[in-house]
Amino acid sequence: MSQWLSEVIATAQTHQDWLAPHRQAALAELEKVRWPLRKVEDWRFTPLIPVEKRSVLLAKPENSTFSAPKIGELSAIELVFSGNELLTDVSALALPEGLEIVRFSTATAQQQTAIESLLSDVKPAKHLFGQVNDALLADGLYIRVAAGKTIDTPIRISQLASNEGDQHLRVLMQVEAGARATVLEDGYGDASSVNTAFSEYVLESEAHLEHYRFAMFTQQAMHVGGCHFKVAEKAQLNSTLIGYGSQLSRLDVDVIYTGEFANANINAIYLLAEGELFDLHTTIEHAVPNCTTEENARGIVGDRAKAVFNGRIHIHRDAQKTLAELNNRNLLLSRRAVINTKPELEIYADDVKCAHGATVAEIDDTALYYLLTRGISRSQALIMLNFGFIQELINQIPNEDIAGWLLNQLHDRFVGMEVK
Amino acid sequence: MLSIDNLHASVEDKTIIKGLNLEVKPGEVHAIMGPNGAGKSTLGYVLSGREGYEVNEGAVKLNGKDLLELEVEERAREGLFLAFQYPVEIPGVSNMEFLKESVNALREHRGEEPLTAAEFLKKAKAACKQVNLPLDFLKRGVNEGFSGGEKKRNEIMQMILLEPSLCILDESDSGLDVDALQVVADGVNSQRDGQRSFIVVTHYQRLLDYIKPDFVHILADGKIVKSGDASLALEVEKSGYAFLGKAYEEADA
Repeated sequence: MSQWLSEVIATAQTHQDWLAPHRQAALAELEKVRWPLRKVEDWRFTPLIPVEKRSVLLAKPENSTFSAPKIGELSAIELVFSGNELLTDVSALALPEGLEIVRFSTATAQQQTAIESLLSDVKPAKHLFGQVNDALLADGLYIRVAAGKTIDTPIRISQLASNEGDQHLRVLMQVEAGARATVLEDGYGDASSVNTAFSEYVLESEAHLEHYRFAMFTQQAMHVGGCHFKVAEKAQLNSTLIGYGSQLSRLDVDVIYTGEFANANINAIYLLAEGELFDLHTTIEHAVPNCTTEENARGIVGDRAKAVFNGRIHIHRDAQKTLAELNNRNLLLSRRAVINTKPELEIYADDVKCAHGATVAEIDDTALYYLLTRGISRSQALIMLNFGFIQELINQIPNEDIAGWLLNQLHDRFVGMEVK
Repeated sequence: MLSIDNLHASVEDKTIIKGLNLEVKPGEVHAIMGPNGAGKSTLGYVLSGREGYEVNEGAVKLNGKDLLELEVEERAREGLFLAFQYPVEIPGVSNMEFLKESVNALREHRGEEPLTAAEFLKKAKAACKQVNLPLDFLKRGVNEGFSGGEKKRNEIMQMILLEPSLCILDESDSGLDVDALQVVADGVNSQRDGQRSFIVVTHYQRLLDYIKPDFVHILADGKIVKSGDASLALEVEKSGYAFLGKAYEEADA
């Protein structure tokens, strides 16, 4: 066991609150972890050295020096965590009818019961850092959209981490039958901060969730988080995941179908600047028949940067008539850029339609030269040649304000990346 | 206009251009002929600034500016245009977007306002017609699936839209039938205005029946070994490069 993990356990044991039983369950699992994790398939390409080196858990996490960026003209219900502190006064929010937002730390006994029943109900136990989040959980939000209600205003949950602070927060969301909502989880961090942001979503029958997760942690920030979804009959999930790299940035996504005729559309984009790492692991569990998954992960990897993509679609024996597509496309900006990609289909049903693929491309020097000879600037030529496949995914984003803002962000980040 | 003085250039440590001198004045058309491997295409790449083509010695000035100091795109903005022997296919980038970006990059350099989509479309359609390409070629990917002749005509269309001061045509006649050759030549001739200069690189005299050169130069082993008027091209057509010596005669056979 690493010193870091020992300290996680020691720290968690000092938390005596209503979540203590939940923490204890996680601690029992963490005690069993055999460190280092290099030999575990899940962590084969993503070294945890930055975390191992971090020997001291700060007792009093400092607030972040950031503020959440303004996303175009987006008008959202904004909930902002700086470090572990929620800057938003939830009780003062004027929420639309059918929307309930509860902060863990101020939950009533009845709300605590609801939260406890949902905690780790969706998130699989296999995620080590999910267990860390269970153990250290500082605060969280429970969001419920009442049956049949449509919440037009997006709910935005921002997490800001910096100044070597620790940030361990949780989002639980229940979209009841036939309800519709849009949620954006965005995280920003630097300066040796550690963030474990895990969120769990329950989509009841015919629920509709438009979900965004932006992991924009950069530089020396460490971020290991996850989004986990249970999708019931005829429910629809549309999720857009954005990953920037940092010295350690990882996102685990699970989609578990619990009812038939449900579908999930997942688009992931990662843009890694020089020397950064980003790891995306997704698992789609087709446990029931007649569900449809379409997943596209596309990324641009800069010099000495490393991307890891592991996309697994597991089609259980009874999951007949499943339609599943999984595709991963990568562009490497240098000979020293690395992508470890592994799309996996595991199929036990015999009447399914599935496809998966992965491609890795490099900059086409001849095409670039051709554009330059026509007076087009180098940065513009690179955008024209190499940004289209990213832009295609941005164009699929339903929310125009988010799409517009994101396009500019990713465009600028790409232009700032050097081709070697 | 263009002044090349004692140019030496190499590719992957192999010297290809070995002391080339050339003076091109406004409005002139210079043809450069020569056997295979003489360095004809290399000259175009060196002048355009292609990566991997190293200048070891000499100087090149375009309109008084030190061309060799400039990046590829800056040379284009200063008025240099290279029509490729093998135009590059770029699926995913529409010909229209490509042409518009190019035209507006040059306009910006000249301090002019970028063309609006409508203004550009009008110009592009006219240029497209002039080189006898169907209008849907504007919507297709750059050179994607174009035939050899269509690619060459697309190069000439770009030349017409970009209005360069010096055009280098690298074997723009290769792989063309007589009709396509006529279209390419008409496109080039329409751009001769007494100011714009051309360097026509070709292996055969045929193109020069359509584009009348003021000067013909024979390039062999990285140097211009003979210069003359249009009659020199006819002489080459008749008796090949035999006058260069045994080695070239065989290379050209």
